[in-house]
Amino acid sequence: MVTGVGVVSPYGVGLDCLQEGMLAGQCCLAATKDVYPGFAGTTAAVCGLPLPANGADSRYSRSDRMAMVAARDAVRNFDCESTALGESGVFMASTVAGLSEIDPGIAEDPAAWYGRGGLARAASYPAAHVAEAVGEHLGIRGPRCAISAACASSAMAIALAANMLLDGAATMMLAGGSDALCPFTLSGFSSLQALDPEPCRPFDQHRKGLNLGEGAAVLVLETLAAAVARNAGVLAVLRGWAMTNDAFHSTAPQTQGNGLADCMRLGMEMAEVSGDEIGYVNAHGTGTPLNDVAESKAYETVFCERRRPIPVSSTKSYFGHCLGAAGALEAAITIVAARCGALLPTLRLTDPIESPSVEWLRGEVRREALPLAMSVSAGFGGSNSALIFARGFGDGEFRSDRS
Amino acid sequence: MTANLAAITGIGSVSPYGPIAGLIPPCAVEPESITTWKTAGLRRAFLVKPFRPADVVPGLKTRRLDRLSAWALVASSLAIQDAGIDMSRVDRSRVAVVFGTGFGCAELTEAFFESAAANGWSGTDPSPFPEGLANAPASHVALWHGLRGPNITVGSKGFAGESALLQAASLLRHGQADLAIVLAGDTLTRAVYEWYEAAGLLSPACHNAELLPETGGFVPSEGVVALVLEPAGRREARTYAHFISGRCAAGGNAVETIRQMFGGAVPGLTICAGNGAPCAASFTSALAREISGPSVDIVPAQAVAAGLADAGAFLHLIFALSSRPRSGQVLLLGTSGDGGFAALLLELP
Repeated sequence: MVTGVGVVSPYGVGLDCLQEGMLAGQCCLAATKDVYPGFAGTTAAVCGLPLPANGADSRYSRSDRMAMVAARDAVRNFDCESTALGESGVFMASTVAGLSEIDPGIAEDPAAWYGRGGLARAASYPAAHVAEAVGEHLGIRGPRCAISAACASSAMAIALAANMLLDGAATMMLAGGSDALCPFTLSGFSSLQALDPEPCRPFDQHRKGLNLGEGAAVLVLETLAAAVARNAGVLAVLRGWAMTNDAFHSTAPQTQGNGLADCMRLGMEMAEVSGDEIGYVNAHGTGTPLNDVAESKAYETVFCERRRPIPVSSTKSYFGHCLGAAGALEAAITIVAARCGALLPTLRLTDPIESPSVEWLRGEVRREALPLAMSVSAGFGGSNSALIFARGFGDGEFRSDRS
Repeated sequence: MTANLAAITGIGSVSPYGPIAGLIPPCAVEPESITTWKTAGLRRAFLVKPFRPADVVPGLKTRRLDRLSAWALVASSLAIQDAGIDMSRVDRSRVAVVFGTGFGCAELTEAFFESAAANGWSGTDPSPFPEGLANAPASHVALWHGLRGPNITVGSKGFAGESALLQAASLLRHGQADLAIVLAGDTLTRAVYEWYEAAGLLSPACHNAELLPETGGFVPSEGVVALVLEPAGRREARTYAHFISGRCAAGGNAVETIRQMFGGAVPGLTICAGNGAPCAASFTSALAREISGPSVDIVPAQAVAAGLADAGAFLHLIFALSSRPRSGQVLLLGTSGDGGFAALLLELP
């Protein structure tokens, strides 16, 4: 059961402002010049990030702080007297983690750089630090795990946290991801010529690349018994999940999308649903030439026998690619879609890739009941992940006691 | 007793002992002087001696890879060889790779910073960027062996290796994989070494060749260990140990949690204590004594495994298995150094 969702996005803090902004078609991508000298491009930044308690401490990176704020937001309705949170576990994803706090001076003379105040900042470098920061912030004493699997990381964190619930490692897990914008990743993607200098156009024939964004999302996952025991609201049910690898290339996806197709099939098998029952797919849809073609082929493979084309959109067109946080943010958006019965369009999609089994959502938000929706992620290194969510209990009411 | 258990059937490692398939013969290894970068005075660590990966695994090309990726490729190949598995006869869509690391590909991450220092952020060299991602080693293992199952790179303060083994066992238990290559490792770079030094974590033995590595602090180490984990029962498999259960937590009552793993009473047992966070050996040994009764053997960590910090568990496990523990059950204990702990219960065949 998903009983809480916390979000830090370029729309602000909270699922409600994300939902409001996206349903209004608001795009957060903006021209950016000040990340480092010589950079001119398009990004989506989180403005006015509130400082969590103790968050000013230099041992916390921006990724840590966003994760702490998102995690606090996810548990905002918790009973302060409850021991459930302290006994829960954390599974957080990050690819940037503390890299945002390190500058090229470390390469010239590490000891001198540490002496100039870098020692504490560098301590936030390991991906595990994000999970530690969340755990410390909320007083969580259960397992604190981290994953770094490029852009599929946080979807995989949710999948692995769900495995841990089934294993009895905890009765509640906070799972998600957090990644900050920083010169390291902007320069890296720029050097690979993967960035579109203009706002990205996922799945468009004229797409030129991706835009980077930043943010964090944390889902509260718990067993049905635990949710009922604490009278928790159920926002969504995680019905199925799967992870695969392309084993094809370090950075390029398998050209026919075979690994991603296998992943979606395994997720649907676990959820015991057919392709006809999935009402919407929140795509990985980065806007890069190779990814979007491979991904559309994966949809052709999986959904070719559907009675009508599968509705698909990429919400990276709203606030860019948040790397290790993308999977969790898109899981949150998929939950919003199911909760509101709202199929979000891809922005700026005017000339879509030809794909007969896919209905590329564009233009206005379409309203229809959405009992089941899937969120798909992929990343460098060939990682793929699929998460299948069912709408929460009740129509419009999300309290398990009223279902 | 072994029904539904996962078995460790293959071991491969690249460590200061060199690239080795199977257990590492018990013998001491001395810290070496660092020559890779210019140091003011003596600096010592347990280092992997340079070798050509293609000499160990024919055909392997590792020129552009981080050493962590290259070592992961060698260690995984040795572990598969040790397990006697013919990968061409395995459904590789059902094979997972789970890698535990503290720092990931630190070498190429530093190379990317060097490139930015030399040319500015707008003139960086693209090649170290994707190869510096933490999941590059696991993805190269998948690519080389054609493994299309879940590919996961995990970290956990003090026990990345234990965390990797727990996740791999979970994938097998839930039918998300039929076989897993589980790895743990880190490389020692100048930035990592000098961070340890600036944080005051190092043993005086790092700066004085007359002192033993166990003299306070720790002597950093590097390497990658790979294990083959599969459901128990493959007829031709040689089993090193069965994985029974495991727990990790950031706090709480470790003794109570570990006793629960045994269902109350702790039987005759060998506890391998001391892996995990640097300087935590005494904490773990104290925990081991509290858990145990008089019929328990405690195997302290070897310095070379303790020096691998977060990723040292599997090296420690190899040493523990090489020491031929007398009891049927082995508890591998790790600690984060601040109250967190990991406990893996293994049964010897």
